[in-house]
Amino acid sequence: MALLRAEEETKVREWFAELEHPVELLVAIGPEETPLAGAGDVDFGAEIVRVCEGLAELGERLTCRVEDEPDGFPRFPAVSIRPDGRDAGVRYDGLPWGYELASLVGAIVEAGRAESSLRPDSLATLAELDRNLALDVFVTPT
Amino acid sequence: MLLAYKLSYASELVTATAIEANEFPQLAQEMQVWAVPRIVVDGEPRWDGAVPEPEFLRRVLAS
Repeated sequence: MALLRAEEETKVREWFAELEHPVELLVAIGPEETPLAGAGDVDFGAEIVRVCEGLAELGERLTCRVEDEPDGFPRFPAVSIRPDGRDAGVRYDGLPWGYELASLVGAIVEAGRAESSLRPDSLATLAELDRNLALDVFVTPT
Repeated sequence: MLLAYKLSYASELVTATAIEANEFPQLAQEMQVWAVPRIVVDGEPRWDGAVPEPEFLRRVLAS
């Protein structure tokens, strides 16, 4: 099954062509928690590799690397979205499918930007931050 | 979700993780995820639902 519809793929290729920095997707696979009933027989590990390798085919500056149980990943499968191959603390735990594929694409686009797309006043506020912050956002694919 | 990612890319002090609730039901239960997106700051569930950028930042920093 294709990752994206034809018109979506065209748009994503355009976005990825504008990446100003190389972006690496580090896919971490390993032992998985038993998902909720209804997940069917999905092989989440294999599927996340397919998704990320499929996206990497859409942009010259986007690459995908797969590792088995790398350090820094508490859950599997997961993908770290890395500007210039650097761990910037951005991760998606689980399979980014359905609507959440857009979050992954959005993260790639942001990671590849030379300048943040946040509002200037947000950046000014954020610059005053003096402690570590860990944001977890629980999502579902629909 | 994207807003949290943007904050993380903009600040080395911020990490942002999306967690697919159906694939990690035990953690989702611990974080009392009944609606999505559920925002958790430093391990504490804070609010549900998308909010505009200024409000998101205000809530995160007030946590």
